[in-house]
Amino acid sequence: MFETFGNIRWEYLFDYELAIDSLPFLLQGLRITMVIALFSMFFALMLGVVIGVARMSKFAIFHLPARLYISFMRGTPLLVFVFILYYGLPVIGLEFNNAVVAAIVGVSLNFGGYLAEVVRSAILSVPRGQWEAAATLQMDYFQTLRKIVIPQATRIALPPTFNIFMDVVKGTSLASVITVQELLYSARLVAGRTYDSMTMYISAALIYWMVCIVIGYFQDRLEIRYNRYLSK
Amino acid sequence: MITVKNLKKTFDDTPVLESINLEVKKGEVVCLVGASGSGKTTLLRCLNLLETPDEGSIRIGDKEVSFGEDKLSKKDIKDIRRYSGMVFQGFHLFPHMTLLENITQAPLTAKQQDKETIMKEASVLLERVGLSEHQDKFPDALSGGQQQRAAIARALMMHPEVMLFDEPTSALDPQLVREVLKVIESLAKEGQTMVIVTHEMNFARRIADKAFFMDEGYILESGPAEQVLTDPKEDRTREFLALLEDE
Repeated sequence: MFETFGNIRWEYLFDYELAIDSLPFLLQGLRITMVIALFSMFFALMLGVVIGVARMSKFAIFHLPARLYISFMRGTPLLVFVFILYYGLPVIGLEFNNAVVAAIVGVSLNFGGYLAEVVRSAILSVPRGQWEAAATLQMDYFQTLRKIVIPQATRIALPPTFNIFMDVVKGTSLASVITVQELLYSARLVAGRTYDSMTMYISAALIYWMVCIVIGYFQDRLEIRYNRYLSK
Repeated sequence: MITVKNLKKTFDDTPVLESINLEVKKGEVVCLVGASGSGKTTLLRCLNLLETPDEGSIRIGDKEVSFGEDKLSKKDIKDIRRYSGMVFQGFHLFPHMTLLENITQAPLTAKQQDKETIMKEASVLLERVGLSEHQDKFPDALSGGQQQRAAIARALMMHPEVMLFDEPTSALDPQLVREVLKVIESLAKEGQTMVIVTHEMNFARRIADKAFFMDEGYILESGPAEQVLTDPKEDRTREFLALLEDE
């Protein structure tokens, strides 16, 4: 499995000095990573709500395209999809003038499909009695959706949505293959220059981890807020 | 107030309501009784179109709809529902809202009155069902009896001409049944028109003007509650009542 098993050079495992010296450079990459991640998550959420609601429509003109979209996005690797956008589209004469924009489009469209399913399952998890009670109180469909169903569905949707948010953050690393100088790309640049791949990729991994810890913290806070109406 | 003519309803080819005719006058309290599966809950849910009958007609107040040929319009459904309020077996309070928010949400959304009037009325109603001190609690923090009393207040906030009760005490612990029945009884004394599906026979005898005994989708026997529930003419009704006595 390893060619030099028995002769591991632990001293090369992690070079603190290099890690600290290259940190400002990696953080610049992180800025691009976060720009892609935040925009992508925002657009993916919008898409998810629209497509998720369309998927539940009883009209075929809404639910069939929604099903097809979800199926395609869940069934294709994000990397392949990003290649299609960035390297494929120029062949037919459509070119992104900015690789960051291509990354945002790719990640948003892809994760929008997953979020559509989260939205759908969360709305379906609100008991039918809630709809019926609202109907007997003369509330219409959209009033019920807004005041009764979405607040309850949000609570259910929080954990899976934050799962996807973390996947989005990590998924932005694929932008490095279309020349976006985000976190992973920056780490690779330093690794190439110093020949210390181990230190640089561990550094990148730790930074992704830190970001996800912060996201997890917001998840906890939101869950507490949305669970406050439950006694236990 | 309510006139139902020749109502028929099937679920996937299984008939659940057959040639139902009934009339409820203003101020009357009517009980629907019968074994489970006899169609009484479905009949009640047809009265506010939570279920759509296949045939027949329903008139409530000034609104009449008939079923069969055309699909019901949203407006028909809305117009029919305006006349009634419903209390469910499972309460169905909105769990993410406090009691006060629960009972004011619908009137605030409907905007037929100004906010001040609605809030004043809400506090009077909460007082009346004995929940004033719980108005800022969430439903999950309350007992089933308290939740059901709040659900009654919530329905009353919309000033329904008819109150529909679907087994309002069936999901409650026995010691909580009385507090809910007392609220319903006080409504009866005020002349509120009500249709109640219930298994509480003593309660039904006490407050109902009329009773309908349902069996396999038909109204098998109807008449003054006292007579139907104490000295029925039909054997099936007698058997059903005897079965309840045994419990």
